[in-house]
Amino acid sequence: MFGYIVRRIISGVLVLLVVSVAVFALFFYGPADPALAYCPETRCTPTRLENIRHSLGLDQPVAEQYGTYMKNIVTGGEFELGAIGIDCPAPCLGVSFKLRVPVTEYLADRFKATLSIALGGAAIFLTVGLTMGILAARRRGTLADKGIVGVSLFINAIPYYLLALLGWLFLISQWGIFPESGYYGPIEEGPVAWVKGMLLAWVILGLAYSTAYARFSRGSMIESLNEDYVRTARAKGLSERRVTMRHAMRAAIVPVVTIFGLDFAFLLAGTIFTERIFDIQGIGLSALDAINGKDLPIISATVLIAALFIVVMNIIVDVIYSVIDPRVRLT
Amino acid sequence: MGISPTELSQQDVPAEPEVVKQEIAGRSPVQIALGRLRSDKIAVACVVIVVFFILIAVFAPLLTRLFGVELRAGSPSEDLDQFNFPLIGPPDHGFTWEAPLGLAPNTGHDNLADWLYGARTSLTIATVSTLLATLIGVSIGLLAGFSRGWMDKVINFIIDVFLSLPFLLVALALAPIIVSRFGNSPDALKFWQFTALLLVLTLFGWMTLARLVRGEVLSLREREFVQAARVIGVPTRRILFKELLPNLIAPIIVSISLGLPAFVAAEAGLAYLGIGVVGIPSWGQTIDNAVPFFNTYPLYLYAPLVGVFLLVVALNLLGDAVRDAFDPKTRR
Amino acid sequence: MRMNKPAAALAVAAMMTLAACGGGSSDTGSDEPGDDATFQEGGNAGAFKDESREAPAPVPDDAAEGGTLTVMTAVAPSTLDPTQAYYTDSTAILSDLVTRSLTQYAYNEETNDMQLIPDMATDLGRPNEDNTEWTFTLRDGLKYEDGTDVTAEDVAYAIKRSFAIAELPDGPTYQTTFFLDGDKYKGPFSDKGEYAGVTTDGNDITIKMRRPFSDMDYYASFPAFTAIPEAKDNPETYGQHPLATGPYKFADYKAGSSLTLVKNDQWDPNTDPGRIQMVDGWDFKFAQDTAKLENVIINDNGSAQTTLTYDNVSAASYRQIQAEKERLVTGTQPCTFMWYIDMTKVKDIKVRQAIGYAYPYEDAWKAGGDIVGVTRVPGTSILPPGTAGRKEYDALGIGGVNTDPEKSKELLKEAGAEGYEIKFLFSSDDEQAVAAKDAIVKGLEAGGFKATPIASTVETIRTDRTDYNSPINVRSSGWCSDWPSGGSWFPAQWSGDLVGLEGMPNPANFKEKKFDDEQNRILDELSPEDATKAWGDFDQSMEEEVYPAVVTGYGGVAMIHGSKVGGMANDNVRGMPTFSRMYITQ
Repeated sequence: MFGYIVRRIISGVLVLLVVSVAVFALFFYGPADPALAYCPETRCTPTRLENIRHSLGLDQPVAEQYGTYMKNIVTGGEFELGAIGIDCPAPCLGVSFKLRVPVTEYLADRFKATLSIALGGAAIFLTVGLTMGILAARRRGTLADKGIVGVSLFINAIPYYLLALLGWLFLISQWGIFPESGYYGPIEEGPVAWVKGMLLAWVILGLAYSTAYARFSRGSMIESLNEDYVRTARAKGLSERRVTMRHAMRAAIVPVVTIFGLDFAFLLAGTIFTERIFDIQGIGLSALDAINGKDLPIISATVLIAALFIVVMNIIVDVIYSVIDPRVRLT
Repeated sequence: MGISPTELSQQDVPAEPEVVKQEIAGRSPVQIALGRLRSDKIAVACVVIVVFFILIAVFAPLLTRLFGVELRAGSPSEDLDQFNFPLIGPPDHGFTWEAPLGLAPNTGHDNLADWLYGARTSLTIATVSTLLATLIGVSIGLLAGFSRGWMDKVINFIIDVFLSLPFLLVALALAPIIVSRFGNSPDALKFWQFTALLLVLTLFGWMTLARLVRGEVLSLREREFVQAARVIGVPTRRILFKELLPNLIAPIIVSISLGLPAFVAAEAGLAYLGIGVVGIPSWGQTIDNAVPFFNTYPLYLYAPLVGVFLLVVALNLLGDAVRDAFDPKTRR
Repeated sequence: MRMNKPAAALAVAAMMTLAACGGGSSDTGSDEPGDDATFQEGGNAGAFKDESREAPAPVPDDAAEGGTLTVMTAVAPSTLDPTQAYYTDSTAILSDLVTRSLTQYAYNEETNDMQLIPDMATDLGRPNEDNTEWTFTLRDGLKYEDGTDVTAEDVAYAIKRSFAIAELPDGPTYQTTFFLDGDKYKGPFSDKGEYAGVTTDGNDITIKMRRPFSDMDYYASFPAFTAIPEAKDNPETYGQHPLATGPYKFADYKAGSSLTLVKNDQWDPNTDPGRIQMVDGWDFKFAQDTAKLENVIINDNGSAQTTLTYDNVSAASYRQIQAEKERLVTGTQPCTFMWYIDMTKVKDIKVRQAIGYAYPYEDAWKAGGDIVGVTRVPGTSILPPGTAGRKEYDALGIGGVNTDPEKSKELLKEAGAEGYEIKFLFSSDDEQAVAAKDAIVKGLEAGGFKATPIASTVETIRTDRTDYNSPINVRSSGWCSDWPSGGSWFPAQWSGDLVGLEGMPNPANFKEKKFDDEQNRILDELSPEDATKAWGDFDQSMEEEVYPAVVTGYGGVAMIHGSKVGGMANDNVRGMPTFSRMYITQ
């Protein structure tokens, strides 16, 4: 198992390297001149532009720029913007052209909001999704089962951003059923403000994602309820509750863990629609702003961070997989 | 939101296609599935809706003429009042055949014409990118599954890389780059905006299918009929396309039918975030423009909203039905 | 001062270089013809100064003590460093609430106008005979938020700092043109030597000029003329927390997303004739969704009652808020939007006039999301309402709004230029700009032109537009007042000397000997009063005889606020709310 993990980590690092090269080449070869974004409106002379390019290091060969970028991640770096230096401690993902702050610091601050969305949303969709799925599986074929499956199919079919948009338009803006959305730090501004600001985002996110979990857990639950060992457990005279919870569910939860890991990674990477519609200042919104403002260091960093989350989560999922499912042995 | 056109997870797909039973019945898996679909009332209803939209898309120019409306023909100074709201039709003046869905505020363009052409944009983009993604996915999947050793490893690695890229972010960053790199003449611009969207959607839509096909091929290639073909010296390409591909029809069809709605939704979503085809009627664009009017001029928002909603729901439910039809294990 | 960047304005006129306009202004929403008459006759720029305003500023009767005002906006200030502040949002936030300058603008309720009044200085400055030396005297009792005294040296340092354009770009640059050694001195960071242009003596600050500068009192109202203690200055981070001298100080600032201001207890109302300190704090929320913020304010529930925005209301919401006029603040900005016709390419005046007749004014404005008469006001003179010396004339006789395609065709026929090709830029990534472009193409074609729009992007359009080699032959842009007279308009954009310079300061490539001579005559020979009037005549004769630009309207302001927001009027120098006198009503 240890060997497996090491191999996975190596391949994960390779994936990240390739992603970083791709992102770097793509964005830095892209025609949107990042120096332009840094140049004042009215007096952007070619000389000025050249100076900016120089101070941002954009006049160096791309390979060299990439080298510096990688080096800065490991050791941190110093940035010269104009006559003033900005210290960028490791892991340094560059300095934002527009905001003139180290990207890592900036995104770490924004990450709190994204983490809030992900945690709250995940809590809701896991509970609702799994409960519904298991309920439907145990009552297979009944009206309740059909209802759950039908509703989840239907909600699942609605594009997520429409669901969120309509939710915001009506439940918050028009009817005022939910409190105004937005991110408030749970420590700085109190947990009540935090929950209030996040509430509808959690509910909508939870609702949209729970459908997949309901269907998934229902499917795998039905499958495992038909397994021989469950029949054996029943034959031993265990209570139905114990059979479901201890025996069947343990096996049924394995595929759920897989999709949950990936979903969660994507949530952490930035929930662009949720953040944009509910006005939550997280990573996704930073990325969107950075894209609109051609702030390359932030764009690259968000892509890299997203890839990191996904790769790491994949490894974690596989390891957990082997722990909860005794049939899986990692080699 | 990522695009995952194939929601087929491993246990959804029969590892052993029920070839044996089918031989007895004398029907191909496609025939069986079609039979099942026909008896599925929801699926039939969805087919009707989807066909309805396809007809709209195909005959959009004809339909606009039939309704007596014109695309992008608004004259703001004549058709709009001092608040930039339309002088005829909803929201203030009731229904009129002159503009059955009203006129857009600010521009005075006819909403029905935009809606009809919007259906065309949505379906074109979804269809083309689904087909492209399927083509890429199947080819790469076949290649990976059938080639052993380093080739398989490399392809797997590439799939890993693509799967670890955040789709929305890259799409948002990539589309403007493609547009400004190639769209420097006014004529080229529209083409490249459209192409950029297709490319971006395609680029992130093929991986799941590739994985799936690879897995299928891995198990199929050990089967007797493939081994036999090999022994008698059938060339690899022939094995791939004549022997293996027919066995992959089911997952491919399922992937396409689940991919279409994902792409329609993705197009509208991307347009809402501000990338996509500007200047060409598209539901996503209209929704983006209409959101501020949701309480003063709801019809302006609801028309494209209902369009996206109906089409995506119908395609999704149809996709689910198709998957169920091919895979009796997950039947409701 | 530059306009802040609402999406719609970006699309139509990305580059505006507007600065303090001391002139009076008409309120488009007001129907008192009385105020208009004075300035349109020529007026007297000095009439809009009020040197005798006494501190403290009066607190309105209906003002409640306490509460927080929330300001939501779709844009975000590009900087809050006083030296760099040039966009109207940055200057309004800083000058009205946080950093005091030598002079300031204050709202006059009777005239519905802004007036120049003293701020940290005891008066509006004392020039010498030929305006080459100005002396300002600081009041006693001025303190920073940390309790330390504001000294004349700090103001002198701030002035020196404004020369550091390399380190602190984007700010106003008149000091480099007018101040002593302005062309040589590079600011205190890279130039360690002494700067002789600013001297201090006790509370006195004296600025020496290298050429006469009669508008120094206006210029002294910019945030750049605040006080900055040299010991606490780091040019890279000062904008994160500029030391407050005004009634509010920074509590928390997240660039691009939010700014929280709290009361500055070191501010003494008895030293400030223009500001009040009734609310406990201000909450600025930047980069908000327009639809969302408008909905919140219009619905007026709970905290929305004390919320306001300085963005122009969108067409979607304007009609709704129309019913509640008291929550809508309208007014003007001293800005003119124009289509500059490239004189080197479109040589026949008939063709140029034909463009003016063919331009689909109302169609283009509406398609671009503007509300005619509110956020875009039709007009024909280049000088906008509110500029002293402005003359009302109508070169084409169409009122700046009545498109006449027949007349256009006729002129083209006379000129033998039927199907003349007009090439212009538009931002292809902005739906409203695309819609406006479509309307313009349609209009030009109806007028007998061939229209070729050339795609650019919001990001690159200003660079593309100032490219001399660009194939375009008209340029859509605008200009806003820097000083109260035409002296800040014509020499800045319509002087033949500017043709060929970097950044294309003369967008029409306008170089006519007759008009250059006239400009020199006005600048060199006329008294300030005569010059004011002469610029109005210059405006008229240039448009009537040459027609190098199609005036496509003036900038308007329409801002909405919650029902408990008090004292909000339009600061017509900037087109921003009058933050300095705002409060929550009882």
